[in-house]
Amino acid sequence: MNTFRAVIELVSPFVLPVLIVGFVAYGWARGVRVYEVFIEGAKEGFGVAVTIIPYLVAILFAIAMFRASGAMDLIIDGLRPALSVIGFPPEVLPMAIVRPLTGSGSAAVLLEMKQQYGADSLLTRIAGVIYGSSETTFYVIAVYFGAVNIRKTRHALPAGLIADLVAVLLAVYVVRWMLG
Amino acid sequence: MLNYIWAGLIIASFLFALAQDGLDIARDRYRNGQPLPIELRLGAGADPAAKSLPVRVRISQEEFRKHFGGVGGAPAEEYSATVERTSRGMLLRFKPGESFPAPLSVIRDNTSPDDKELRGALGEVNFTDGAARTTVTFPPVRFVKLNAITNAAFEFAKTAVTIALGLIGALALWLGLVKIAERSGLVNLVVIAARPLLRPLFPQVPPDHPAFGMITLSLAANVLGLGNAGTPLGIRAMEELQKLNPTDDTATDPMVMFLAINTASVQIVPPPTLVAIMGLEAGRIYFPMMLVTGLGTVAAIVAVKVLGLLPGYRASDPNKPAGSGAVKR
Repeated sequence: MNTFRAVIELVSPFVLPVLIVGFVAYGWARGVRVYEVFIEGAKEGFGVAVTIIPYLVAILFAIAMFRASGAMDLIIDGLRPALSVIGFPPEVLPMAIVRPLTGSGSAAVLLEMKQQYGADSLLTRIAGVIYGSSETTFYVIAVYFGAVNIRKTRHALPAGLIADLVAVLLAVYVVRWMLG
Repeated sequence: MLNYIWAGLIIASFLFALAQDGLDIARDRYRNGQPLPIELRLGAGADPAAKSLPVRVRISQEEFRKHFGGVGGAPAEEYSATVERTSRGMLLRFKPGESFPAPLSVIRDNTSPDDKELRGALGEVNFTDGAARTTVTFPPVRFVKLNAITNAAFEFAKTAVTIALGLIGALALWLGLVKIAERSGLVNLVVIAARPLLRPLFPQVPPDHPAFGMITLSLAANVLGLGNAGTPLGIRAMEELQKLNPTDDTATDPMVMFLAINTASVQIVPPPTLVAIMGLEAGRIYFPMMLVTGLGTVAAIVAVKVLGLLPGYRASDPNKPAGSGAVKR
C-alpha cells in the first residue's frame, strides 16, 4: 500500500515531461515537420482561451456572488453531515453538478476552486480528476444523436449519467487514497 | 437545466444577501451612529494642539464586547492612529494595515473599500498627562452582503478575463503538442490496441463494416485527447451506425454503447484546459485520473448492458423483431 503510493509519487513528475518529449520524439521519428506542425497547433491556443472567456465570466461571477452572499457556505455546511456518510466533501458538489452540463463551465468551476482552495489542495485535486476523467455527457449526446436525427435515445443518457456518478464518487475515494 | 442552475445561483445570492442584511439592520449589528468609548495616548513631547496628532488608541475588551453585544473577536491592546482637526470636528484615522476584530474590520472594508482605512468621528477630547478618554463614532454601515455580492460579480468578471489570457501560453503549448501527435499517426497505434477490446462490445456491428472502424478511430482520438479531431470522427461513426439502423429516429444498442463509452472518455493524455489550469499539478493527479476514467468506462459499459436488459429498453430496440444478431444492409 505504502510502496504503491511511493511508486506513484516517484513516477508522477515524469508524466508531463514524458508526454511532451514523447510527442515530439515520436512525431520527429515518423517524419512529421514537428516545428511547423507545433506552431500550427499552438495558434489555436489564443482562439481557445478567448472562446472560453464568456463561459468563464458567466460561471465565475455567478459562483462568486453565491459564495459572497454566504449561501455557499450555508449549503456546504448543511450538506456536510449527510454527505460525510459516504465520505463526500460538499465543496466538490458544484463540479459534480456542472461537469456533465458544460465543459467550459466546469473549467471555470475548477479555476474558481483553485483560487479558493489552492491548486495543491485535496479539494482542487478531486475536482481536477472529475474534470479530467469524464465528459460533457449532455453535450456529447445532443451533438452525436443530433447529427443523425435520432430522437429516441433510449438508455444512452441514463447510462452516461450513471457512469458520471460512479466517476465522481471514485474521484473522491481514489484521490484520498492515492494523494490524501 | 443549466439555465435553472445559473439563474438560481444568481437569484439565490441576491435573496440570501438581502435576508442577511435585513437581519443585520434589525439587530443593529454595526451600532450605526453609536459612540464607542476609547482611550487616546499621546507620544512623548507631542503638542496636543497640533492639526494632525499621532496617537495610540486603546479599546478596552469590556467596552468592545458591551458595545457590539458580545459578537466578534477581541481588539488588540493598542492601535496606531492620527487625530485630525477638520472643519467638521475631530477625526480619528487608524493606521492602514492594522488588523481589527470582526465588526470593526467589516466597518472598515465597507466604509473605505479603496484605502482600507478605518475612520471615525471623535467626541470631546481633553488631554491630561498625555491621555484622554473619549468616544469614536464610525460612519454607518448598511447592506454589507449586497455590496459584497455586487463586488464579487464585477471582481470575478475581471478575473475571468485575466485568467483566460493567462491560459493562452499553456494552451498553445499543449495544443501544439497534440497537433504533432495527430499528424504523427499515433492514433493508429491506439486503434490497433483498442480493436480487440472494443470488438466484443459491438456484437451487432460486422467486424469489417466501416462503422466499427470509425468507432475505434473516434474513441482512439479521444484517448489521445485529440478533442477537436475526435468529434467529427464520432459523428462519422454515428452516420455509419445509422446505416445499420432499421429505424430513422430510435437509437440502436451499438449507438448507445458507443455514446456511453464516449461520455465516460478514457484518456491517456490529459485535456489541454486541465493542463493549462492545473499546471504541474496535472502530472500529480495523472494516475488517479487514469484509474477513475478507466473504472468509469467499465461502469458505463456495465450500465449499458444492465439497463439494456430492462423490458422497456428491450421493447424499444430497433433490431428487436429479427433477434439480436440481425443487421440491415
